Amino acid sequence: MSDAQPNYQELGRKLLTAIFGALSALRLYPVENETVQHALSELHELVTAIVDVEGSAEVRVVGDFFFLNETRLRLDLSNFATFGSFARALTTHGIGAVEIVRGVERSEWAPFLSMLLRPAAEDLPFEGFHERFEQAPVRHIEVRPSTDVEGPEDDEEALTAAKRTYAQSVKVAADVMGDMRLGRAVNVRKVKRAVQGIVDQVLSNESSMVTMTTLRDFDEYTFTHSVNVSIFSVIIGQRLGLDRAQLYELGLGALFHDVGKQRLDSEVINKPGSLTDDEWAQLKEHPAEGMLLLFGMHGFADVPYRQMLMAYEHHMKIDLTGYPPNRRDREPTLFSRIVAVADAFDAGTSVRSYQYEPWPPDAVLQEMRDNPKRGFDRLLVKVLITATGVYPVGTLVILDTHELAVVSKVNADPDLLHRPVVRVISDPVGLPLSEPKTIDLAQSDPATGRAVHQIIKTTDPQKYGIRVSDYLLA
Amino acid sequence: MTEQPDPSDTPHAGLDWEESGLPVEQVRSLFVTLGKAFRAYQLYDENNPVRQRFVDTLRGEFSALWMELDELVVTLDEDHIFLDGSEVYFSESRNDSLAFLFFKDGVREVTFLQGVETHELDQLLGVLQRARKLSPEGDDLLTVLWEAELTYFRYKYVDLLAEGVALPEAGPGNSSAELQAALEAEDQEIDEQASRAEAGQEQETPLTVRQDDFNPTLYALDPREMETLREELQKELRRDTRADVLKALFDRLEEPENRERQSEILVILETLLPNFLSRGGLMAATNVLRELQRLEGLPGIFDETRLSASRAILDRISAPDAIEELIAALYNGTIRASPTQLGAFLRFLRGGALAPLLRESETVEHKELQAVLRKAVQGIANENRSAVVELLSQDDPVIAAAAARLAGQIQVTEAGPALVRLLRHEDPAVRLAAIEAATTLKASVVAGALESSLEDSEREVRIAAARALGELRYSPAQKKLAELVRSRQLRVADVSEKVAVFEAYGMSAQEAGVPLLDELLNRKGLLGKRESSEIRAAAALGLGRIATPEARASLERATQDDDPVVRANVNRALRHED
Repeated sequence: MSDAQPNYQELGRKLLTAIFGALSALRLYPVENETVQHALSELHELVTAIVDVEGSAEVRVVGDFFFLNETRLRLDLSNFATFGSFARALTTHGIGAVEIVRGVERSEWAPFLSMLLRPAAEDLPFEGFHERFEQAPVRHIEVRPSTDVEGPEDDEEALTAAKRTYAQSVKVAADVMGDMRLGRAVNVRKVKRAVQGIVDQVLSNESSMVTMTTLRDFDEYTFTHSVNVSIFSVIIGQRLGLDRAQLYELGLGALFHDVGKQRLDSEVINKPGSLTDDEWAQLKEHPAEGMLLLFGMHGFADVPYRQMLMAYEHHMKIDLTGYPPNRRDREPTLFSRIVAVADAFDAGTSVRSYQYEPWPPDAVLQEMRDNPKRGFDRLLVKVLITATGVYPVGTLVILDTHELAVVSKVNADPDLLHRPVVRVISDPVGLPLSEPKTIDLAQSDPATGRAVHQIIKTTDPQKYGIRVSDYLLA
Repeated sequence: MTEQPDPSDTPHAGLDWEESGLPVEQVRSLFVTLGKAFRAYQLYDENNPVRQRFVDTLRGEFSALWMELDELVVTLDEDHIFLDGSEVYFSESRNDSLAFLFFKDGVREVTFLQGVETHELDQLLGVLQRARKLSPEGDDLLTVLWEAELTYFRYKYVDLLAEGVALPEAGPGNSSAELQAALEAEDQEIDEQASRAEAGQEQETPLTVRQDDFNPTLYALDPREMETLREELQKELRRDTRADVLKALFDRLEEPENRERQSEILVILETLLPNFLSRGGLMAATNVLRELQRLEGLPGIFDETRLSASRAILDRISAPDAIEELIAALYNGTIRASPTQLGAFLRFLRGGALAPLLRESETVEHKELQAVLRKAVQGIANENRSAVVELLSQDDPVIAAAAARLAGQIQVTEAGPALVRLLRHEDPAVRLAAIEAATTLKASVVAGALESSLEDSEREVRIAAARALGELRYSPAQKKLAELVRSRQLRVADVSEKVAVFEAYGMSAQEAGVPLLDELLNRKGLLGKRESSEIRAAAALGLGRIATPEARASLERATQDDDPVVRANVNRALRHED
């Protein structure tokens, strides 16, 4: 893009922030209030600047993504809440795109935004909105329905792509670990492709990759765990605003974080039940062994120092009371702390040789966030929660209707992290459904404003042999 | 953008361009030019006008093509490129084939978008050039294209590495019995807790969730927390991860209970050192050497085997070939270091580094660098005195001469015999350096050999030998010096040589030399003839080196001499005596 063209990323973020600011102000104060007026002026100035250059400004929402005049806007920590909130305001009314054309006046914003704040029509929300909109004194702002929203076909395509990426990555992890155990040269090209695939898939459809992490194959735990940690790490990294190359670095290190276990006695790694002191001492060597193993990997442009640190530091804890012990000052890197969080979350929610009863995901997250002895970076745990929701994908829940359901998608609005999308798997008496049913728990009763459905309890699917992936991959 | 091609797409049989309406000939020409531009990228560097010309031509062809097409989509097989079924590129040789370059890594379709020629052409050609030179175990075209993140160039590929991978599929789900059992168990659990609560038993964490109690602040980040994380990210990106890894390696190296790992780490460190230096990481390399030396000194850390391995690293980095690489890196800018940083690194080097460093310290023109090298050389030499003696036997005269001077500076007395040999070296610079060292060392074994240097073929060497004998006050040489003083050979020598010999005679003979010197200064020969002004002046200066009343008396007799040159030097000699 030449230097003369506007920086859409920056403009787009500013625009959405300004819209959100104006919406928030209108929600709280009357329109003549100074705060509201200031917010509207700011918004108008921004939009005018874009429209004067481009002729129009189109903001489009497709799934979890925003586009400003065809440029996809990147989410990071500073804007995912804003974006999520505005996305909801649009999608509630079935709006997929808003176009502002040359000549827009400041006086048009208040009526348009106020209409967004009103409850949506129950049936045909877009038509209801559009009918009222036609009556409003707004001539230079147009709305279009969300025909571009990811429908079932898009979801299916995304899920197929996610399956492919996941399966390939698990195979690569298995091949690489096997080669390392046998002291053979590792095919770095395959590893790079796998991690690049994970990054691409997380960037294009995060929820589909999260769905894949619910596949819990006990026999292939080592490999699926490595891939899952890579996925969760990249997701956290995306929230922090890492660019594609940085996400790749993070995902690569996360994939290799446990590679040191390939040097340990497999009987120790796979031993059911508790370890003896001696066995535990052996296991605690795997971070150091992992770092050393990575020195033997060739095919990278430079020595992969950052990835070595992720393997070395991921059990160290932020207060350095973990392992390996330190003789020299150090501070675990941010990437290492991210991997530590991702590792603990996936491990805590999986069946392993020594953990027959994993914790429910929501309990794991709470423990990680609230128990300082666990040694996790609390802020990064919160970032993970913004991605996974309070009830992560794969959590088995009981609704207030006594139906059993599995969380299938996180709500993008941070105020609604506790109200995900669920796939109902049984009717109130426990009979499997003949037709799959998906419920968005964020939906509210327009009359009362209260949630239509609620989660009343979470439980552990492994306890009852319920395979959540059977329902999520269908 | 990367996508999997639709398996149902197959290249059509060649369509006539008039039928398809596509500018096949134009595209053919473009691919010919693309091939040439790609070849130019391989052969010429960035500033070469030939390469630039091909790239400019390619830009022009793309620009012209956009009059006919919105985008250029082509498919590929091993050797051909097709535009909607029409062949637009073919190469017999796969070595130079664009088609094969794409095809072998799985690419089956590429799309050039308008703007590629303006924004990304150089980048694309660079990617292709890089892809051509990749090693089998590293990247391939797909990973390199991914990293390049091109906007105006897209491709579809089949993932050859993913062939045969089975996709996970959904299972059949659970039976009604299993689901009912789950619900019943959960209901029972809730009821039991409710009963316990009613019975007033210990308060438990409620099993059920009250979603109205959801507190978003526990889960969402506030602006301060977001800012903290942003700062953490910036800190992370600036971080010296290499230093962190080194700390980790040294922490583990300090664990004698794991000898095998210690050995592995020592091997890694040895591999890392040239890696650091090749990337200008002098301080990182210094850190490694410092830590190794420190650990070598700590009791119980290394056993004999590990100690030997650690020392071998220091020896290896001090080897002449490694030092020559270091010097080359300093000159070509690969390593940019302050004198302090360079000195900090050099002080860890062992004796093997002496020869190349000595040579460099003698020949380098940069004064500051010379000072650093000389200081380093002295430091290393002090720890490796025997290495200095060995260097005196070097074939390289520059090194031999420098080693001789060094031996004098740091008082390597055991260098005496070697210095004697150097007095007969074919290179006069070496002979001079040996004389200089002899003077500094005050080595009597060398002094004896200096007498023969009085007859050296080189004037500088003769003068230096005379001065050295004088400085050393080597009395055994007075006979030889007296012969020289009387000789015809000295009478035709220049003033400097005359003075050097006479002063040397004075200093070595002392009182015994007065009669001869007095005779040359004051006596008139038969027919009243005297010695030349220069000889008489030199004799005066010789007397000036003898601190006896007789010498003084001889000088005073000549204070009123007719010859002004003689008078001036007599006065000078008297002042010297004072």
